[in-house]
Amino acid sequence: MTLQKDPERNEIKYLRQFVHLAGKRVLEVGCGEGRLTWQYAKWTGSTVAMDLDHDSLRVAKVDRPYTLEDKVHLTCADSHDLPFSKEKFDIAILAWSL
Amino acid sequence: MVHALEEVRRVLVPDGILIDIRPLADRWPVEVISTREFKETGRADDLLDQVNADVASNEAIVDAESRGWFRREQEEFFPFFYSWDTPSEMEKYLAEEWTDLAGLSENTKAATRSAWALGDADSRVRVRVKILITRWKKL
Repeated sequence: MTLQKDPERNEIKYLRQFVHLAGKRVLEVGCGEGRLTWQYAKWTGSTVAMDLDHDSLRVAKVDRPYTLEDKVHLTCADSHDLPFSKEKFDIAILAWSL
Repeated sequence: MVHALEEVRRVLVPDGILIDIRPLADRWPVEVISTREFKETGRADDLLDQVNADVASNEAIVDAESRGWFRREQEEFFPFFYSWDTPSEMEKYLAEEWTDLAGLSENTKAATRSAWALGDADSRVRVRVKILITRWKKL
């Protein structure tokens, strides 16, 4: 299979046009296998990437770049009951998940 | 969905930013492309599940806006390409992975196969998915 998703990298270009990520605390809802996460997380202060699908999260954990191990926390959680205290994040990204 | 937006609002700081990125059903173009040529060979058929999902998402965000949770600040569309080496790889992927997203008619499949077969050696096939990105500010 030779599938390429977003070879022109439009998604990350638009994300960076829409929000300044530098040093911010980011929550990504619906990270899946981390396709978008690994593209932007390096610029953030910290990132929590969550998904309900265990299989996708397992792939994300395997694929997580070594340089992002301390910066990106992956978690299995439901968007209807976020396991975080209030006012914990500067930015939330709904990644194909609304 | 509205409750999920309420949860997101709860965990955002005052003036926090919500970015919503999602595909919208819009009979996505199917294309054959090489470094020299470009040809649209048809359109994907929107499936009811995706259309209904779009409606539900739009209603949820309008509801959240009307409750004064968020203010829309910026919105745009952009193309997100799914690209394959061959039409058969595209057809297999769509049949397996896009069962609730979009489908291809036999006419579009045939037109794509033909254009690819007659195209340049570096021809690929792709689907141009329409993506909506919106920035919301927490109120």
